[in-house]
Amino acid sequence: MLKVIGGFFLGLIVLGVLAYSYAGSLMFREVESPFGVEETIARIQQNIQNTGNGWALSGLRNPGKAVEADGGNTLPVMMIEACSTKYSGPILKDDSVRFLSILMPCKISVYKKNDGKTYIGMMNAGLMGKMFGPMVGETMGHVAADQAKFIQFDPSKPAPAMIKGVPGAAAGGAGASAAGGC
Amino acid sequence: MAAEKIYVFKRFERFWHWSQALIIISMLITGFEVHGSYKLFGFEHAVGYHTVLAWSLVTLWIFAIFWHITTGEWKQYIPTTDKVVAIMRFYSVGIFKGEHHPYRPTQLKKHNPLQRIAYLGVLLLIGPLLWLTGWFYLFYGDWAAWGVSGFLSLEWVAFFHTVGAFLMLTFLISHIYLATTGHTPTAHIKAMITGWDEVD
Amino acid sequence: MLARPKLILPLAAITAMLTALVAFAAPEQIVAASAPQATSAVPAAIAVKKSVSTADHSKFKELQKNFKTGPEVTEACLLCHTEAAKQVQHTKHWTWESKDPKTGQVRGKKNIINNYCTSPISNEKDCMACHAGYGWKDSTFDFSVEKNVDCLVCHDNTGTYRKLPGFAGHPVYERIEFPAKSGKFVEAVDLQKAAQSIGMPTRTNCGACHFFGAGANGAKHGDLDSSLQHPGKYLDVHMNEKGLNFSCTQCHATSSHEVSGSRYNTSAAMTGPAHIRGKADASPAACQSCHSDKPHSAKHALLNQHTDKLACQTCHIPEYARNDIGTELSWDWSKATTMGPDGKPFARKDSAGRRAFDSKKGEWVWESYVIPEYRWFNGTSTYKVIGDKIDPTHTVQLNVVGGGPNDPDSRIWPTKVHRGKQPYDVENKYLTVQHTAGEDDTALWHNYDWQKAIGTGMKAANLPYSGKYDFVNTELTWPITHMVAPKEDALSCVLCHSKNGRLKDIQGVYMPARDGKHWLDVIGWTLALLSLLASLIHGGIRIYSSKKEG
Repeated sequence: MLKVIGGFFLGLIVLGVLAYSYAGSLMFREVESPFGVEETIARIQQNIQNTGNGWALSGLRNPGKAVEADGGNTLPVMMIEACSTKYSGPILKDDSVRFLSILMPCKISVYKKNDGKTYIGMMNAGLMGKMFGPMVGETMGHVAADQAKFIQFDPSKPAPAMIKGVPGAAAGGAGASAAGGC
Repeated sequence: MAAEKIYVFKRFERFWHWSQALIIISMLITGFEVHGSYKLFGFEHAVGYHTVLAWSLVTLWIFAIFWHITTGEWKQYIPTTDKVVAIMRFYSVGIFKGEHHPYRPTQLKKHNPLQRIAYLGVLLLIGPLLWLTGWFYLFYGDWAAWGVSGFLSLEWVAFFHTVGAFLMLTFLISHIYLATTGHTPTAHIKAMITGWDEVD
Repeated sequence: MLARPKLILPLAAITAMLTALVAFAAPEQIVAASAPQATSAVPAAIAVKKSVSTADHSKFKELQKNFKTGPEVTEACLLCHTEAAKQVQHTKHWTWESKDPKTGQVRGKKNIINNYCTSPISNEKDCMACHAGYGWKDSTFDFSVEKNVDCLVCHDNTGTYRKLPGFAGHPVYERIEFPAKSGKFVEAVDLQKAAQSIGMPTRTNCGACHFFGAGANGAKHGDLDSSLQHPGKYLDVHMNEKGLNFSCTQCHATSSHEVSGSRYNTSAAMTGPAHIRGKADASPAACQSCHSDKPHSAKHALLNQHTDKLACQTCHIPEYARNDIGTELSWDWSKATTMGPDGKPFARKDSAGRRAFDSKKGEWVWESYVIPEYRWFNGTSTYKVIGDKIDPTHTVQLNVVGGGPNDPDSRIWPTKVHRGKQPYDVENKYLTVQHTAGEDDTALWHNYDWQKAIGTGMKAANLPYSGKYDFVNTELTWPITHMVAPKEDALSCVLCHSKNGRLKDIQGVYMPARDGKHWLDVIGWTLALLSLLASLIHGGIRIYSSKKEG
């Protein structure tokens, strides 16, 4: 009997360690892009605008610029910020999960690594949403499905131009002073 | 049966053994990372630690050599063939039957003949191999000044350094296991910690 | 983040005031070859436009003239600077020719073919906008005429002197719409003002050509573009406008108008201590001339052990084109003359707004923050010059960077490899010279006819043309040496010391963590595993037999 209980607890500990070490890769995803940094960004931006469901670009953030301003170097890192009021609205209205606003706007990171290749980093919205009840779970499930569309590329189409500023003056996101957006 | 206790490992010797064990294990861990076998501390840190450890070992050895010469303890490592066959028979057969070790250590002869050969091998072969290659590795930038760049290549220096590391690792594994083969599994280890060995 | 703008304003004001003070108190401007002095750390030239020369050229009556043309200005200059034109006429900036002291090969822009605009021959009227002279419009140009040396292009300090393609090296004398039909106008240069405002070459002077090679900002070099006009510390630790603020000539020290440091004769592996003033200085443009070949402190002594194999640039320029401008990685001429669906020439930009296609010129690929390709290099490159045979079944190396792992004068260098696809003569098996620029019937950019363009180009180059052309893949390798990052941003060890690191393709050097004999690892680990297994089995039997007996 002691052995059974002991084994059970040992199993729990092993599971805990596994969960701890893999949690990061479950929460986030990283995929290689077939394009360069700028073209990857431009194509994702175009996909976001074509997805519908209320999606709009809310910014393009370059955290590397701050490092450069301080005299340091980073390989390119750009964060595409997008939001859909259709999905943000229900979450923002609910007191019990309003803290999830910290995840808004939805961000997709495009960056280069030392192998010279471009990568796309994003949150596993579906899995993360499931932790916060049925309403958030369902909403984030939709977000996850749309996110998957954001990174589906059609190489036969010409490269669109990267959208540097925020389209529409009243949009939110990086650098926007007026209220609005997500 | 009343056990007789003898004082085999003196204070410095024990200090030497354990600090050397710590350094060598650490050097194996960092060294194989430098070799590219795995990633643990990161290459840069691994190199840094390995270098500091190397100098620590050099310092320790200067003291150890001095100690061995002044105390005459170096004689403990003179090889002998006395009872070798009996000892080999003990490890391959007798140990399973609960027989007693055919060799009884004394203060003057604390190592059994197999130990003598093994330790002498470590001290005269593996050690110098690592030392010599490690030294050249460390002072790669001075090869030209020493006039050795013509007939040394980093590739082969590194090769033999790695050979030494693998031999040291193999020795270490066997050594740790054999440390459990006293009349009780912890007897040898206790002796190495306290200095006192029980001779039954 | 929020507090920063508030901080910057007063800081900027204080800095400006301090700079002004120091600049007024500053002694002589440092002439290039001398070691960096305290004054060089202050952006005096930028904060306060005050000449430090002992001569004020605006007071010379020779320059109080309403100059009509560039050569008139040069004649005025030569009244005092009697030897200047003769000196310039011995330099690459004038001859576009360079003889390799080791191989004897005569290279230079006049003789080689690259895979950007390929060759200036038959296109002189456009290309010579970057010639330090006036009037080189075809092969009849007389290289001995002193007044045709262009002093102003390097020495004008107003920043207004501009030479446009199409004028064979003359500046803009009359207001002109440029590019044609663009609605943009270039004002006529005030030659008198330029002549009276001359000084040491600034970044603007050098950059006017060297930032914009191959017809677009940053296109050619990758480590030279307009971002070096006002660089931050991150981009170039020496040229940092708020720090050392080096001009180009600080490193490219010049004597008798001969500018040091050229990719044609690179000092690839300088050894010894830092140079001191007064010592004969063969290559003042090399890093080592100030930093020595053992530049790292005792704490980082291990790094000094790398200098026998690595160029400084390899670690200290982690990427080149570190800005949004980027650089061209390839130019495919075979796509040129492709028309749009409406049968008309068209152009397309890439996602970052850089030229990606033009019916005149073909297709380009650009990249920013480019990770270099690494090569052994001893400073000597052998170039394909006009008329050299090629093997079109392979990618043609337009220059072969010399050296290798067993050459003590070679180091591993970061390079930009520019890949091209360009025309060659199928039967004669050499690269062709084509007439691209111009308004005449045979110019490629006017008539979109390769056959005519090559015909005219080859005639100008005095080379037989079989009449059959095709396109061949080519590579041009450039050592990277500018955009030196701050020391904190040098490559970390593991980026090379790992199995698939940056130097994975470099042969002939043993690198811990990258190299080793695989069979030794197999044997070694097997041995260790066997001893572990033996111990476990031996121990297992011991436990088993002791239980049985006990």
